[in-house]
Amino acid sequence: MQVLKTQFDTYEDLVSYVKNLAPWSEGEPSFIRGGRKSAEINLLRINPITYASTRNYGDGDITRLSPYIHHGIISLNEVRNFALTKCSDPSQIIKFIQELGWRDYWQRIISVNPEWAWQDIESYKTGFLVNDYADDLPDDIIKGTTDTSSINAFIKELIETGYIHNHARMYLASYIVHFRRIKWQVGAKWFLKHLLDGDIASNNLSWQWVASTFSNKPYIFNLENVDKYFAKCVDTSPLNNQSINDTYEALTLRLFPKLKEIS
Amino acid sequence: MRQSIIWVNEDSLRLSHPVFSFSSVDIKAIFIWDDVYFKEAGYSLKRLVFIYETLCELPIQIIRGDTIAILKDYDLCLLYIPESINLFIRDIINQLPETIEINIIEGEPFVCLPRQTQYGRFFQYWNKVEKTALLVDGGLK
Repeated sequence: MQVLKTQFDTYEDLVSYVKNLAPWSEGEPSFIRGGRKSAEINLLRINPITYASTRNYGDGDITRLSPYIHHGIISLNEVRNFALTKCSDPSQIIKFIQELGWRDYWQRIISVNPEWAWQDIESYKTGFLVNDYADDLPDDIIKGTTDTSSINAFIKELIETGYIHNHARMYLASYIVHFRRIKWQVGAKWFLKHLLDGDIASNNLSWQWVASTFSNKPYIFNLENVDKYFAKCVDTSPLNNQSINDTYEALTLRLFPKLKEIS
Repeated sequence: MRQSIIWVNEDSLRLSHPVFSFSSVDIKAIFIWDDVYFKEAGYSLKRLVFIYETLCELPIQIIRGDTIAILKDYDLCLLYIPESINLFIRDIINQLPETIEINIIEGEPFVCLPRQTQYGRFFQYWNKVEKTALLVDGGLK
């Protein structure tokens, strides 16, 4: 039984110590720091009122509290109670509290149905069978060198920081499952490796939602949507994003050709 | 002599978690740094550093080794565990001897809704909880 050290002179010493404990682990530490003090600093910065109208934008008033909530450093109850002090009426922050509710909901679903963490809850509603989806993540996705510039930027941020905007997570998940036809489980596992807030409830069930194995239809996106919400954050030029530059009607025909045959 | 401890997991890294108020104040709290678990989970260095930095702020002992072996070494009579959906933790609980009393402590509830409710899609859940979700402490205190 080896008792590990908990006092360090510097943060760099702590990082070096963890590297020695886990020499197999990949990458570098995130700029997002752990601990209760960091959680409280982030909590004080939230704006639950403007969150509703800006949360879908790459530079919107999102909270970045999820790594702290996932690790239980701060509870959903504490966040909700603090948010209530930032408004004159709870109706001003319904969307904010609803997003906290999503986490509670995912946790409850997995708590009751733990097998849903990795099994398809329902069939894909894409016209394809499970075996039509690949079992491995290609190198260009792992390295962020696909032919789609905005996707590469999201991958780079995921790998370097361990955090990406929820909207970007949906784009990435949709790109992997629907544009590249890879099993959602493969992408979910890759996210869990990197995301500081990655847990099998919120992460895996969101992947199932995108994949359509826990929703009524597959979630897809196009360049117009990325440009609307992330033009200030990533390269959204049509030239560098050709694979996603189409109308939803055209994308649906291209990505799910069997759906037309079925209907 | 058989003893009681709190086994803290990576989903419950705060002193205000009810597990610390349920148990007596002088009970030992440990976190097990299980290399095999972390390696199998494939956590990147940034995840491990984030967890370790958080652990260092807590008055708990970090012990490196195999989770089951360490828990068995303690000759436990009572084990407090913060509730977690982590499948690894659930698996460990199932492997522990029946001689150990296991007390799983839930975190503070977010809303007033029985845990075992069947939920369906999100808005079926939300329609049930919206009123209490908008109240301090979920209207539970």
